[in-house]
Amino acid sequence: MSEAAPTPPTKRFTFPRWVNYALPVIAVAIAGGLFYAPTLFVLGASPKTTAVGYAPEQPVPYSHAVHVGKLGMDCRYCHTTVESAAFAAIPATQTCMNCHRPAAEDDKGKVKVGTGGIRSIIKAGGTDVANPALKPLHDSWKTGAPVQWVKVHDLPDYAFFNHSAHVNRGVGCVSCHGRIDQMDKVYQSKPLSMGWCLDCHREPEKELRPLDQITNMGWKAVDHPYAEGETDAAKAQLKVGLKLKAEYGTRDIPYMTSCYTCHR
Amino acid sequence: MYWRSLNQLAETPEVRALIEQEFPNYNPSELATTSRRKLLKIMGASMALAGLGLTGGCRRWPKEKLAPHTTSQGNHTPGQVEHYATAMEVGGVAQPLLVASFDGRPIKIEGNPTHPMSWAVKDKFGAADAFAQASILSLYDPERSRSVIDRTRDAAGKSSDWAAFGEAAVAAFGRAKGAGANVAVLAEPMSGPSAVELRKRFQVAYPQAKWYEYEPVSRDNALAGSRLAFGKAYRSKLDLTKAKVVVSLDDDLLMFHPVHTRHAADWADLRRSGDKGEMSRVYVAETTFSVTGTVADERLPITPDKLFALAQAVAAAAGVANAGTAANLAPNETAWAQRAGADLKKAGKNGVMAAGPAATPVVHAIAHAVNQQIGAVGTTVQLLEDPAGDRPTHLEAITALAKAITSKQVEVLLILGGNPAYDAPMDLHFYDGGDKDPSILRSVPVTIHLSVYDDETSRACKWHLPMAHYLEAWGDARAWDGSANICQPLIEPLFGGKTAVEVLAIAASEKETTAEAIVRRTWQEQLIKGGDFEKQWRKTLEAGVLENSAFPAAAGATLTAATFAAPAPVSGPFVRFTPDSHAYDGRYANNGWLQETHDPITKLVWDNAAIISKKDADAWGVKQGDVIQLDAAGRSIQIAAFVQPGQPIGVITLPLGYGRTAAGNVGNRLGFNTYHFRQSVDGDVVSGVKVSKVGAHYTLATTMEHHILDEFAQKNALDQRVGGKGKTGYIVREATLAQYKADPRTPHATSHGGVSLQLFNNPSTFNTPNAWGMAVDLNTCTGCNACVVACQAENNIPVVGKDQVMYHREMQWLRIDRYFKGTAPAGGTAADDPNPQVVHQPMMCQQCETAPCEQVCPVAATVHDTEGLNTMVYNRCIGTRYCSNNCPYKVRRFNYFDWHAKDPRISRPAPYHGFPDAQQNDPAQIDPIRRLVYNPDVSVRMRGVMEKCTYCTQRLAQAKISRRNAAFAANGSEKGSEVVPDGEVMTACAQACATRAITFGNLNDKGGELVKLHKNPRAYEVLAELNTKPRTRYLAKLRNPAEGEKA
Repeated sequence: MSEAAPTPPTKRFTFPRWVNYALPVIAVAIAGGLFYAPTLFVLGASPKTTAVGYAPEQPVPYSHAVHVGKLGMDCRYCHTTVESAAFAAIPATQTCMNCHRPAAEDDKGKVKVGTGGIRSIIKAGGTDVANPALKPLHDSWKTGAPVQWVKVHDLPDYAFFNHSAHVNRGVGCVSCHGRIDQMDKVYQSKPLSMGWCLDCHREPEKELRPLDQITNMGWKAVDHPYAEGETDAAKAQLKVGLKLKAEYGTRDIPYMTSCYTCHR
Repeated sequence: MYWRSLNQLAETPEVRALIEQEFPNYNPSELATTSRRKLLKIMGASMALAGLGLTGGCRRWPKEKLAPHTTSQGNHTPGQVEHYATAMEVGGVAQPLLVASFDGRPIKIEGNPTHPMSWAVKDKFGAADAFAQASILSLYDPERSRSVIDRTRDAAGKSSDWAAFGEAAVAAFGRAKGAGANVAVLAEPMSGPSAVELRKRFQVAYPQAKWYEYEPVSRDNALAGSRLAFGKAYRSKLDLTKAKVVVSLDDDLLMFHPVHTRHAADWADLRRSGDKGEMSRVYVAETTFSVTGTVADERLPITPDKLFALAQAVAAAAGVANAGTAANLAPNETAWAQRAGADLKKAGKNGVMAAGPAATPVVHAIAHAVNQQIGAVGTTVQLLEDPAGDRPTHLEAITALAKAITSKQVEVLLILGGNPAYDAPMDLHFYDGGDKDPSILRSVPVTIHLSVYDDETSRACKWHLPMAHYLEAWGDARAWDGSANICQPLIEPLFGGKTAVEVLAIAASEKETTAEAIVRRTWQEQLIKGGDFEKQWRKTLEAGVLENSAFPAAAGATLTAATFAAPAPVSGPFVRFTPDSHAYDGRYANNGWLQETHDPITKLVWDNAAIISKKDADAWGVKQGDVIQLDAAGRSIQIAAFVQPGQPIGVITLPLGYGRTAAGNVGNRLGFNTYHFRQSVDGDVVSGVKVSKVGAHYTLATTMEHHILDEFAQKNALDQRVGGKGKTGYIVREATLAQYKADPRTPHATSHGGVSLQLFNNPSTFNTPNAWGMAVDLNTCTGCNACVVACQAENNIPVVGKDQVMYHREMQWLRIDRYFKGTAPAGGTAADDPNPQVVHQPMMCQQCETAPCEQVCPVAATVHDTEGLNTMVYNRCIGTRYCSNNCPYKVRRFNYFDWHAKDPRISRPAPYHGFPDAQQNDPAQIDPIRRLVYNPDVSVRMRGVMEKCTYCTQRLAQAKISRRNAAFAANGSEKGSEVVPDGEVMTACAQACATRAITFGNLNDKGGELVKLHKNPRAYEVLAELNTKPRTRYLAKLRNPAEGEKA
C-alpha cells in the first residue's frame, strides 16, 4: 500500500448539504432491491430462460406424433446410435427414403408411389415427391447435400451428455425429451438445466425403468410387478425405481454428482 | 545439488524473484497506488458493464445445425472415434501410426501398436513421437498452400489450377530433348514401393533424365561407413533389448535416429530391470549435448576431430586387432575409451557400438569392426540389405544438380517436396536472395515445385503445386526395417493437393494418375502375390503393414577393411549442425505446438541459438543471448549464443530449421538461419571457426527457469517452509545401481520423511469405484517431449507465442523439468563442471488428495471427485488464480487471453468486443480450418479460466461408459464392472511414452502394474513433506557408471 501523507484535520472532507436529499433515494433503492433480487431469481429459473418450449422451425415439418405416436415406430429406427454412442444420430436421408423413396418418375413428372411400406399409407397417385413440405428431403436425396435440421435439445459445450450411458442403464427417452410421441413439432419439454440434471443424478429412482421399456413413451410404473399394486404413479415409480437401482448397481450420489461426470 | 539453469545455481536475485512470485509479470504496485475512490469508480463501471452483459446474456445461444449423411455409412457410428493405420515418412523412413478420426476428421495421432518397428503397451496403446503427434496441427494449418501457383509470368505468382498446370506440363515436358537429357528431378528420399515404381516408370519415359535425391539431415556417413567396412552399404538395425552395453559415438539413438521410438522402448527395458539388480550401461561420447547423452551412464563431451581416435581406442580395448593406435586423446578420454572397450569386450554379443551421422565414415567402419569382433552382429545388430544403399550421398547429389544447372544442362526441373532454396548448402546457391542475388533455380526455364507450403523454393520456381499432407493421400513407405506400410488417407485433400507419386505419374504421361489406383496396382503386382488380393489388401490396410516384408538380413557380410585411415586433421573451434527439436530441418517451422514445446536440453522455445559451453562463453566474454559472429572459410553468420552446461568445449552447436522467410506466419522470422553457414563440403561439422562478439543482444525465450519448485539451490527455502527441521525431501532422487543394490532406500536417504499427521480427516478416501494414479519413472524418461505434444493434442491446449512465454504464460499442462547436477572441479564451482549429469522430470498435476489448490478456491471450481481426480470445473472458475498461487508443483495454467482466437505471432491482437461464441463462429476472426483439430471430448477453454492436467478424464469417462455398457448388455447390471483394470485406459502422455516412463492406472486393481510401481522401493512423492498426498509418484533414477567414474 502506498503511504499517503496524513491529511491535516482542517482539510477533512465533509459531505455537502444536498446529500441529505439523497437519503430517500437510497431508501427507495434498497426497497427496490428487495423486490429486484427475488424477481431476478424467479426469472432466472423460469421456463422462458431455460428454453422450455423451444420449438424451432425445421426444414421438413417431420411429425413425431405421426411416425411414433400413430405408426408406432421405435426411436431407434432412426436414432440408431443412441445405445452405442454419446450422440443419438439424426437419421440419414436414406432412412427417410426407405419409405418416402420414389420408385420412378413417369413422363409427366408425376410420381409413382415407392415400393416401401409407405405404399399402404399414401394412396395410389399420392404426391409424396410433389409435396412441397418434403422438397428439402428429396433435394437432399438428389444432390447428396444433407438436410440441415435445427438442434432442439442443445446443451452448453462444456456439458458432455452421453446417450448410451443413460439409455443402457434404465433411463427412458421420455425422462429428458418428454412425450415426443405426441409432438407434431418437437419442442424442448424439460429445462435441461444443471439443477434439473442433478435432480435425477441425486434421485435416479424417480426415473429408472426396466431396460426393455426405455423407448416406451407410455410406460407406467404402476403396471410393473415391483410396484406391488401401488396405484399412485409417483409412489409406484419410487418403489420400482429403488428396486431397479439396487439391481442395476446404479452409482451413489457423490459419484454421480462429481463435476467430471458431466464437465470435462 | 541440482539446478535448472546457471542463474539458479548462482542464486541471482532474478531467479529468487521468480521463485517468490507465482505470476512474475504481475505488478501489485499498480493496485496499491489506486485510491479508494478510483477503485470504487472502476468497480461501478464494471458493475454497469456486467449489467449490460446480462441483458445481452439472457438469450439463447446460437442455433446449431445437425447435418446427417444422406446415405447410411455402413459400420460408421456418428460421434464415435475410429482408428486407421497409416504411416508418416520422414527422410525415407516410415513411422507407423494409428490415427483417430472423429466423424471424418483426424484428431489424434498414435503409434501403430501392432507394427514391428513401433512400440505399444499390450498391443493396444501405440507410441508416436513429438513430430508425428504434432503433424495433425500441420494438416489443419490454414497457411498451407491452397492452389497451384503460376509464376511463369510474374514472380508474385497468380493462383492457378491443376488443369492449367497439366497443359503447361505437356508443353514443358515437350521441351525435353530426345530421351529427356535436359530433364532433372530433385526428390526427397521416397521409400515406398509405389514411389520406387513410379520413379522407374518416369525413367522409362525419360531414360536420360537425371534423378537427384536430397535431404538436409541425412545418415549418409553410415552408408559410407558400411561401404568402407563391408564394401557394401548395409542398414544397421539395433536391438537394444539385448544390449547390456551400448557405446554411442555421437549417435543420438533416442531422439534423432529415424527409429528412435523403438530404440527408446528397447533401451528402457534394460533400465527398468535395475529393480532386479541388472541394468544396461550406456556410454555416449558426443560433440553436442543430445538426449541420448542426457541419459548416458558414462558421457564424454568431445570435439569432432577426436571421434576417430576415440573410436580407435575403444576398438583396441574391445579387441579389434587392426584398430591402430589412438593419438592425441586426453587422459580422461583414453580412460573413457578403455572402460567402454573393456565393457564391450565383456558384454560380447550383448554389446553394441553405434556411430552418429556427424561422425566420419571411418568411425562407422570401426564401429562395424567392433560389433563384428565382439559378436554383436546377429544379436544386438542386424545388418539389412538396403536396396537404395548404393545411391550417391545427398551432398553429392545436390552438388551434382547445382553443377548441371549452372552448366545449363537442365531445362526442366521437377522438385518433389523438400525445400532446397532454404536448406541446400549455401555455396550451391539455391538460396534466393532476390533480383540482385538470384537463386540458380531462376536460371532454369521450367521449374516445378511440389510442396505443402508455398515456401522459399516455390517462390523461386515457375510453378508451385500444392502437396497433399500424408493424412490426405494414398501412398506407401518402408519402415527402418524395410517393412512395407500402406499410407491410408484419413480425409480428402483439404486444398486439392496431390502426392509426389501422382505428380510423377502426370509427368510420365501415365494413364493412371490417382494415388489410390497406383498404390493398389503396385501392391497387387509386387507385394501381395497369390491368394485373394482384395482380402489380403484389406487385411494389410487394417494392420497398416505387410507381414514379412522387411529387408532381408545381409547375407555373407564380411568385414573387408584391413586398416582404418585417419580422416584429414582439422582443428577447432568446431560448428556442429543438428536437427532442431522444434523445426527438425525446418519443415515443421510453421507448427505452433512444436515451436512452443521446450527443447529437451536448452528448454528454448520459438528459437534456435548457437549453443556454447560455459568455458568457451567465459573465454569469449559471451553471456546468454549475446549475439556472436561465426566466421569460417567463405561464410559468416550472426547468431545469439546460449550457454549450455555440458556442451563440449570448443564446439558450437547450430540447430537447423530456423530463419525461415516463407514458412507462414508462425514460422517466419524466428531464430537464425544456420543453413547460411553450411556448405557442400561440410556435412554436419565445420572446423576452424572464428568466433567474435558482435555487441548486440537477442532475447531468447527459454522455460528452464519457469515454474521452479522452490527447493533447489535455495538455502533458506526449506526453513521458510517447514521450519527447518530435518533435511529437504529432494524433488529429484537418484542413486547408482551399486548403491541401490546395497540399500534400496539410498535414493531417499536425504529426504525429510513424510508428515502423516493432519489437522482433519479427509472427507473421503477418493477410491470409489476406481482410484486413478500415475507413476513416473525418472530412470527411463529421456525428455523427448512426445508426452508434452500428445497432451497438447489430446486436451485442446493452445499456443501463446514467444512474447507470452516470456511472461511465463505457456499453457502446456505437462512440462518436463530438466535438472543438472554438477560436481565442482578443482578451483571452480558446480557451474564449471564440463560434464554435469541430467535428470528429466515430467511434471503435471499430481492430483493431490489434500490438494492445496482446492482449499483456496472461493467458488469451489476445483474440487475432488470420488476417484481421486482433482477436478477443474471451467464453467465455475472466475479466474482468481488463488489456486495457481497455492500450488506447490506449479502446474496450473491460466488463460490470460482467448488464446484460441489469438495468432501467436501477433503480440497484441485487436480486442474483440462481441460475445466470445460469436467470435468462435466468425471465419474472419478464426479460420474454421483451425477448429478442425479440436478434440470434441474436451472443452475449449476461454479467457479468464484456470486449467490443468485432468489425467485425461475424457478417456477415463469413455472407458468407464463402454465397460458399463458392455456389462449392462451382458447382465442387465453394472455390478462387478466398476473397477477398470490396469491397462484398459491410458492417458495421452502415458500412451505417447515409448519408454513407459509414465504409467497410468488404477490403484484399486490390486494386481495391476501401477500398484506394483507405487510399492517399488524407488517410489516417492514429490514434496511429500507438504502432506499433499499426491496420486502421482516418482521412481528415483538409477545410474550405472563404470567403476572409477564419479557417482
